[in-house]
Amino acid sequence: MAAIEMVNIVKQYGDGFPAVNDVSIDVEDGEFMILVGPSGCGKSTLLRMIVGLEDITSGDMVIGGKRVNDLAPRDRNLAMVFQNYALYPHLTVYENIAFPLRLKGGIPEAEIDAKVREASSTLELDEHLERKPGNLSGGQRQRVAMGRAIVRQADAFLFDEPLSNLDAKLRGQMRTEISRLQKKLGITTVYVTHDQTEAMTLGDRVAVLKRGELQQLATPRELYTQPVNLFVAGFIGSPPMNFMPATVKGNEVELPFGTFTLPAERAQRAQGKGLLIAGVRPEHFEDAKVVDSSVAGRGSTFRANVDVVEWLGNEAYAYIPFEAPDEVRTQLAQLEKDLDSEALRTQLVVSLDANSRIAKGEEAEIWMDASHLHLFDPATGENLTLGA
Amino acid sequence: MKQRMSPAHWAGFVVILVWCLLPVVWILMVSLKPVGETTTGSPQFFPKDWTVQNYKDIWDNHDFLRALGNSFGIAVIATLLAVVFATLAAYAIARLEFRGKRVVLSIALAIAMFPVVSLVGPLFDMWRVLHLFNTWPGLIIPYMSFTLPLAIWTLSAFFREIPWEMEQAAQVDGATSWQAFRKVIVPLAAPGVFTAAILTFFFAWNEFVLAISLTSTTAARTVPAQMSFFVGSDQFNPPYSQLAAAAVIVTVPVVVIVLLFQRKIVAGLTAGAVKG
Repeated sequence: MAAIEMVNIVKQYGDGFPAVNDVSIDVEDGEFMILVGPSGCGKSTLLRMIVGLEDITSGDMVIGGKRVNDLAPRDRNLAMVFQNYALYPHLTVYENIAFPLRLKGGIPEAEIDAKVREASSTLELDEHLERKPGNLSGGQRQRVAMGRAIVRQADAFLFDEPLSNLDAKLRGQMRTEISRLQKKLGITTVYVTHDQTEAMTLGDRVAVLKRGELQQLATPRELYTQPVNLFVAGFIGSPPMNFMPATVKGNEVELPFGTFTLPAERAQRAQGKGLLIAGVRPEHFEDAKVVDSSVAGRGSTFRANVDVVEWLGNEAYAYIPFEAPDEVRTQLAQLEKDLDSEALRTQLVVSLDANSRIAKGEEAEIWMDASHLHLFDPATGENLTLGA
Repeated sequence: MKQRMSPAHWAGFVVILVWCLLPVVWILMVSLKPVGETTTGSPQFFPKDWTVQNYKDIWDNHDFLRALGNSFGIAVIATLLAVVFATLAAYAIARLEFRGKRVVLSIALAIAMFPVVSLVGPLFDMWRVLHLFNTWPGLIIPYMSFTLPLAIWTLSAFFREIPWEMEQAAQVDGATSWQAFRKVIVPLAAPGVFTAAILTFFFAWNEFVLAISLTSTTAARTVPAQMSFFVGSDQFNPPYSQLAAAAVIVTVPVVVIVLLFQRKIVAGLTAGAVKG
């Protein structure tokens, strides 16, 4: 058990490109920390610097109060689960799990056996102990890789996108398993993923990275409700937050669909800033016909042409195209690029109640809750309404 | 898709088998003929009088036994050394980025392209000065050098196939670089190691030009060279049947080793996918 402190960590490759740039993260003892971001954001590089597979250009890596920058991986006493599991194909499951113990040397065979069997029963691998990894399914290999990690008294667990090779259903199950195991063992864990669902569900805290820079380090709830900038707002949440051009005058905000009244505090922070980008999550819209009367007063309605409707049973998504001025469009295009996605047009994604009868191609009345509207500076991407 | 074997297939197999095995069977038959029968010329395929006398004679020939021992010792030692050096070199070439890597590989290839005959003279002179003439090391060193390039190329191809993460996983698990190499990388590259071993052993076992030029007595002379000293009653009537018997005896270990290693190679290939 140990806390991991990263202090101003920089990783520069030979060509001078900073893969990780001045990142400081404190992982508390026993905490489940998630590193998340689109591909190329430096999250895996950061993880590999913690474990010692990658040199640190500058900054301090402190594990359990000891600076480990110059220690070899084997001297850091960390356990890691690799993306493709990296099981030893020539060894049985039993020997794979026993491998770290045998390397230490001097551990009596009986003790190794007891530890391996304890790990295998925790992970329900008992009947597979004599098999080779080549004969196991993806989920079983994943468990063997975890067995190899938990069998030793490591100071921390490191996971490098451990679920990305599994199919969707298994991924959900293993996610719960990992969470349960971590709570049971109470061990410090750093988990790298590009999947924001994993980030939100597993993490005590989540660090969002973009192009090697730390954007925000917060609890999942805070990331969702108080994103510090356009990038975090767009990255966290599925379907993603809607962005549209906005101008604030007094307590009124002018959006492509009409004018809405903002809470005074939010409006005040955006005074005199000219053209802004407004962000509203899909669930803060509703079909005006089915919106609950107790919350209806918080927002107001507008009429819009619904392009496409996707009905999912428990809810429905409606897509409403709109035109954006060029200034906002370039900013949004850049954001899409940062997020690794490609939006072909500017459109609203609106989450509707499953009872909604809005059909595609219809003009419908949509209600919007303006009290959750975020306003972003189009130049810096900074969230102006943070904390309001 | 499984196809039934048609008669044409069978006919094809028979032709190929006869083509490949006829010389081997021919040698076997000659070795079972009495000496007298071969020296008078023996056009018939099967011996008129079947005999194992040739084998008895060969077995009583101390020079031949010495040569067999030399062959075995020299081939095994050359193979072991070549495989060990090739494994280390190939690992460095596959894993490390260092200056002159391409140069090392090119030179290794260039060595393999030298005709052995062109080096006989210089080696003969050098070995006389260095007192390596007519000794085991005198043959082991050139055999090793000639087989190293091919072994290095084969092995580095195998090492490149092994995901680097295997080794990193081992290091995180607490292994030193050497332990990771020995306990993870080498077992995974076993098929490559055996391939390299077979190639080296064959070369050393069959080599004739150096063996005849760099030896003068049975202190280091190997079987292929020794066989050229099988002279019968006169130079023009070599004991063909005895030569054939010696050839059969020399072939046996090679066949055994191939069968032995081939199992290993197949086992190595099917031991389990790295990832799936």
